[in-house]
Amino acid sequence: MLLLASVVVSAGLGAVRVPLAAVIGVLLHPANAGDASVILLTIRLPRIIAAGLVGAGLSATGVLFQGLFRNPLADPFVLGASGGAALGGAVAVFLVPSLSIAGFSTTALLAFAGALLTMGVVWSLARAGGKFAIENMLLAGFAIGTMLNAATSALELGKEATNPGVRLLTAWLHGEVSVPSWTQVLIITVAEAAALLLAIPLTRQLNTLSLGEEYAEQLGVRVGRIRILVVAIGSVLTALAVSLGGLIGFVGLLVPHVLRIILGPDHFRLLPAAALCGAFFLIVADTVARTAFAPTEIPVGLLTAFIGGPAFLYLLNQKKRGPSL
Amino acid sequence: MPAIIEFRNVRFAYPQRTIFDGLSFGVEEREMIALIGPNGAGKTTLLKIVCGLLRSTSGTVLLQGRGLESWSRRELSCYAALVPQHLDVPFAFRVEELVAQGRVPHLRRFAGPSARDLQVVERAMQAVDILGMRERAYSDLSGGERQRVKIAIGLAQQPKVMLLDEPTQHLDLGRQIELMALLRTLNRRGITVLAAMHDLALVRENFSSAILLTPDGASFAGPTPEVLRPELLERAFLVARASLSRHVSGESLTHDRGDRIDA
Repeated sequence: MLLLASVVVSAGLGAVRVPLAAVIGVLLHPANAGDASVILLTIRLPRIIAAGLVGAGLSATGVLFQGLFRNPLADPFVLGASGGAALGGAVAVFLVPSLSIAGFSTTALLAFAGALLTMGVVWSLARAGGKFAIENMLLAGFAIGTMLNAATSALELGKEATNPGVRLLTAWLHGEVSVPSWTQVLIITVAEAAALLLAIPLTRQLNTLSLGEEYAEQLGVRVGRIRILVVAIGSVLTALAVSLGGLIGFVGLLVPHVLRIILGPDHFRLLPAAALCGAFFLIVADTVARTAFAPTEIPVGLLTAFIGGPAFLYLLNQKKRGPSL
Repeated sequence: MPAIIEFRNVRFAYPQRTIFDGLSFGVEEREMIALIGPNGAGKTTLLKIVCGLLRSTSGTVLLQGRGLESWSRRELSCYAALVPQHLDVPFAFRVEELVAQGRVPHLRRFAGPSARDLQVVERAMQAVDILGMRERAYSDLSGGERQRVKIAIGLAQQPKVMLLDEPTQHLDLGRQIELMALLRTLNRRGITVLAAMHDLALVRENFSSAILLTPDGASFAGPTPEVLRPELLERAFLVARASLSRHVSGESLTHDRGDRIDA
């Protein structure tokens, strides 16, 4: 309900204000054309849905990765998965712009490959030397993420500013939610819903995994298989989110953390809750980002960084003091 | 009676180092058996082999007369429960949620716990007297309370064999005695107990048999008084006989543990 209300309210706000009653009117009878309905249906609504999809995807990925890595700091942005997806997407935009395979653009596919590859590298770096250490993982994620973002920026060099690829890339690097076509909205919604549904059966095993990998194994959990599935699903969700919103940091950290305080650490409840609240959070954040300094829009990625950065530091400090979270 | 756990000429080696070699012993049903030896002699390794987390390099391990390799992961998890030395839970799971994890090997794929599963969890918590702390977060518990929660998880697995890795470590004297009484009770109720122990006085008082692992890879198994002979302990722990006496006799307990701190 809250999610629906946020969509309606957010749709009314913007450079051109549309009264609430008119928004509801357009949503119920989209055929009655008018200036307002054009703005709503072709620009604002797709963007709002995109923001919701990004928030849901990043928050759900946060829950999955935090469960897998047994650490509340794991987030697709912090671990470099978002950076990998952005670089993969950027490569696709510049090198093979107009191909599509089975309905998915090469952008989405290469973004997925980028996220998956990054997670693989970060994982093996964190594991290097036998024991898995969370500090190694965060450092590896940071280093790889920075490198990937530099590489993505480098792809822009020498291109003209009017190049549509350059504009898309700039938006990604800043973390700006794009305005997708309705076809894109549909494809990404279906893909994201499918990924989330596949993740639900894994949540109980993530609970067991909280006791440690070896202990979970002793309780009959196939840890290797869960690890691959969680990383793959998380990479899909990250790639979808990045293809719509670029590098938006800390959402996957902030939303699950707040929910864990309210609902407790059970991943089975956490995952759907994170998807819903993540969608709500990013719709609100994106609405603020595009209206607060209207007509100038600020990228929502800047906003989440301002809120999420301190939250990350706070969690890091808590982590040092004790395990209770 | 047939052995419930049997090791025949078992060797375990890491690439650089052999932990033990030619290890043979049998554990009979309902026995209470201590696993002793210096650090690094392979006590934890042995426990992990029994519950299938590690594979022996060579030799035969039989559970219930059946080769370990023919047991499925799930069967094994319902048969032998490992109570690890350390359990670190990063999120604030409540005690009852943790104990319910012991039911995982019994659950059908993708299914949640049934009413019967919850009943087993309830009984497990009752057996170790932690019903009063069921709502508390594991991370807020004391060392002795944590130890009991870990044992409750193991009980919820409804195992025939319980494998404990240094269950009395970091516990104060009172909690150590309580814990040993708890293990003896579980043992009387039919659970075979195999526990890695450091405190030889506790071993002498509570365990009928013992397995001694030595750093040179040799091992001795038998009734506790025979295994706790000074010449064997000398060889295992590499200390002079004179300094062993009080550990073997079981006297001067307070002197021995005066400097321990409650975890």
